Formats: sequence, C-alpha cells, structure tokens
Amino acid sequence: MVAVWRLFKNTQRSVSTAEGLAVDDTLPESVSNHGSPPILHLYTFIPSVIVGKYQDIEAALKLDRCRARGIEFNRRSTGGGTVIMGPEIVALGLGINVDYPGLENGGVGGVFESMARVLVGALERLGISSHFQPKNDIEVSGKKIAGLSAAADTGNSLLFHTSFLVDFDIELMTDIMNTPVEKLSDKGYNCFSRRMTTVREELGEKIPVESAMEAIQRSFETEFSIRFREDQPDQWEKEKIRSFIKNRYTNRDWIFSHKHPRARMGVGRLKTRAGLLEIYLSLSGSSIESLLITGDFFSTTDAINRLENALKWTSAREEKIQENLSRVWQDNMIYGLDVPTLTKAILKAKANQVRL
Amino acid sequence: MANIKGYNMPDELYYHKDHSWARVDGNRVTVGMNDFFQKEAGDIVFVDLPEEEEEVSQGEVCGKIQSRKWIGKLVAPVSGEIVEINEELEEDTSLINSDPYGEGWILVIEASDLESELGNLMQGEALVSFIEAEIKRAEEERAKG
Repeated sequence: MVAVWRLFKNTQRSVSTAEGLAVDDTLPESVSNHGSPPILHLYTFIPSVIVGKYQDIEAALKLDRCRARGIEFNRRSTGGGTVIMGPEIVALGLGINVDYPGLENGGVGGVFESMARVLVGALERLGISSHFQPKNDIEVSGKKIAGLSAAADTGNSLLFHTSFLVDFDIELMTDIMNTPVEKLSDKGYNCFSRRMTTVREELGEKIPVESAMEAIQRSFETEFSIRFREDQPDQWEKEKIRSFIKNRYTNRDWIFSHKHPRARMGVGRLKTRAGLLEIYLSLSGSSIESLLITGDFFSTTDAINRLENALKWTSAREEKIQENLSRVWQDNMIYGLDVPTLTKAILKAKANQVRL
Repeated sequence: MANIKGYNMPDELYYHKDHSWARVDGNRVTVGMNDFFQKEAGDIVFVDLPEEEEEVSQGEVCGKIQSRKWIGKLVAPVSGEIVEINEELEEDTSLINSDPYGEGWILVIEASDLESELGNLMQGEALVSFIEAEIKRAEEERAKG
C-alpha cells in the first residue's frame, strides 16, 4: 500500500515570516509528538530576509535598509546563512522522522542527498538539468538555484528548509545584505548574478510559482513512492503554531539572539602570475561562511564555484583551506594559478578581517 | 583504542545512540561527540551549549551543534547537573573534529544516577553492531545517490 503524507500547500497568499516559520517548526513536532506522517509545507513569503539560527542578524543585514524598503526580517530554526524570500521563491518545509525509509539515519550528508534528489527531480520535470553541489546547494551550470538547510530538534524528527528560486531580485539582495563586496556595487551585482540563477531565467519564460510547487510535490511522490493528501493544521498543530509565533518569531530575544559565532569580513588582493586575485571573505567564528574569488584571471564560472563551495562552512585554518582546495583542484581551474597561491590570497583576506 | 571500520571508538568510553560519548571518572562524566559523528558531520562551525548548573536527564537534548547548514543535537548520555563547559570551543569549534575524545570534549555532568543509567549506553559488541549498522545505512544511501 502506498504511504500517504500530508501536504500543507498555500497558493492563495504569501505569508509573513512569523507565520511561515511557525508552521514549519510545527511539522517535526507533529511528526514526533502527535503521530503525524511526514508533512510537506509548500508556500511563499511576503518580501523578506531570513537568517540562519546561529547568524548575527545585525552583522548579516542592513536592518535600516530592510525597514526602509518594507522587507521583513526574521531568524529561522535551521542552519546556514541569509536567504532572501518573496512571492516568487518557493519556500519548502518538511517534517520527517530521521529513520523514515529512504532517508539515511545518523549521517548528515546522506540526508541532504535524499532531499537534493527530490529537488533535482523537480527541476527535471520543469525541463531544467541540475545537480547536487555538496553539501547544500542545487546548481544549474555552476549557478545556485536552490539551497538546503536542516535541524534535528524534536525527538527523532528533522526539519528541512529549502528556498527554490523561481525568480530573484539581486538588486534587493545587494541592498539589504552586508557583504564584503558592498563598496563595489557593480562588481557586487555581477559577482552574485554569475553565481545564481532562477527557474525563469533558465526556461526563458515566466512560469507560475504554482508550477514549481507542483513539480516539487510530484518529485517527492516519485522519490519516496508516496502520495500526498492536501490538509490543514489541526487544533493541536494550530496551538503549536500560535506558540511558535509568540515565543519565537515575534519575540525580539529570538530574532536578535546573541547565540552566534563572531561575524567578520575581509578583502584580500594578491598580484599573481595568473593575474590579480581578489578574495571577499565572510567568517563565522573560526569557519568560512562564504567567499567570492574574483579578479582578472582566466577561469570558468563552474570552476570558481567549485572552489568556493569547497571552502564554505569549513575551518578557516591554513592547513584546512589547503586541504579542502586540494580535494577539488584540477590543473588550470584558474589558468596559471596553484593551490598555495590561492590559499595565500584567502589568508590575506582573513588577515584583513574587520568586525561588522 | 577500538577501531570499527575506520572509526576510532575508545574501549573505555560509553556511547549513546545519538553519538555522544561518556567518560566516567567517579561521578563526574565528561561528554563529547564520537568520531563517527564528527566525520559524517564535517567541519563543526558552532556549538550552542547549555549553562553550567543546569540539570539534564539521560537522552535529553542539552546542546546544539551546527555543521554546514545542519543543526544537530547533543544528547546527554547520563542524568545530572552540568558542572563544566569546554570554553575553548567558543574560540575553536574544530577541536571536535581534530580531537573528539581529547581537546574536543564538550561538557562535564555530575551524574545523579550513574549505576542504573550506564546500562542504557553501549560498549563492546553492542557498539560494534551499532556502528556497523550506521555505516551500512550511510553506504546504502550513498549508493542510491
């Protein structure tokens, strides 16, 4: 018999960050403590920006610009960095037991891979060929189109979050986020536009957000051999949602939580025989949160992306940078450059770090 | 030092199924995350620790550990009062990766019911079977991918 999962699908309106995130947090609670089968929540937010659970919101965002533009900001309960959300970005929340057949128990990587397969399948249904860029992104020709994050909190269950870009406003992103590239506004725009893509950009047509939701839904059904029953939160779940809205998502102590590593950013420039290397580095405690490798060297978007991805959310110690770069390095990824020189440029950015 | 298919799992420690370990010294129990966890999780980027003097129960989530965009649980292997936190982790979370049973220890619990609770933790053959099953599941999942 085919297992039935619940589907909370909201195509009627875009929701506030408090409402959307509170429903998501209720999903693993309901699976773990209320006897629910897995629940998928597909919806969109009003224009907003959401930081990861352990991010310094004041360092990550220009809050005055958010307020001036009417962009809501909040903090989610899963890991990772800042995401811009809005009516043309599908938000996905999934509550599921860690030992559900088809999900790996114990390891982080495999669980993300299971979810990535669903998203790659959904893009395939839309006519877009993509792949999983370990550890957290789905890419199309080296450009990010969807990101995954997760948290294990309640009992045996997990919460997954995904942002799936049907359309995206890079200008908004560069205006409201603090990035090391901000003083070079044109360059900043280019850096991000070369690293991100959307369903509409790939297809060259304005497909509705509902079509992307439908593709995700069908891909889950295929991947897990299940079918969905459209449903609404019951009374128990509604009570939980109200409680999360009150205690987390409208609570300043949660939104402005100080439980986070120190956030710092730095820029490093190094003249090399391959050309000028410019590294923009964001550090989270002793780890690299993100980095941009730019300059006037010869390379491909795909190669740069692979190098940047190899370092995201890894230790910023010299030997770890070398080790992680070496793992993906191939001859002439950046023409005329080698791993020690690239490492040196990154360490220069690290040495120039400033606290925000 | 026991080596189970490439994972170091020291014989003298007790292991919880959620991958925390316990080193018993009288009633003081030092707690950390095992080698399987740190290898699967990858670089640890943040540890959200409880306060000293908090009471925890065996199996209770007493901290959170972020690696990449994943937030995992630190589960108390025994009940008692948290009497010490590893403050070094505030500066360098990678100690959990580089030395999970040494400098990467996370906290110390003054155990309240050690004798009866140690029986709920794994050692020896039970541990070998558990880790082998975890590895098998991980491999199966990767093969499918």
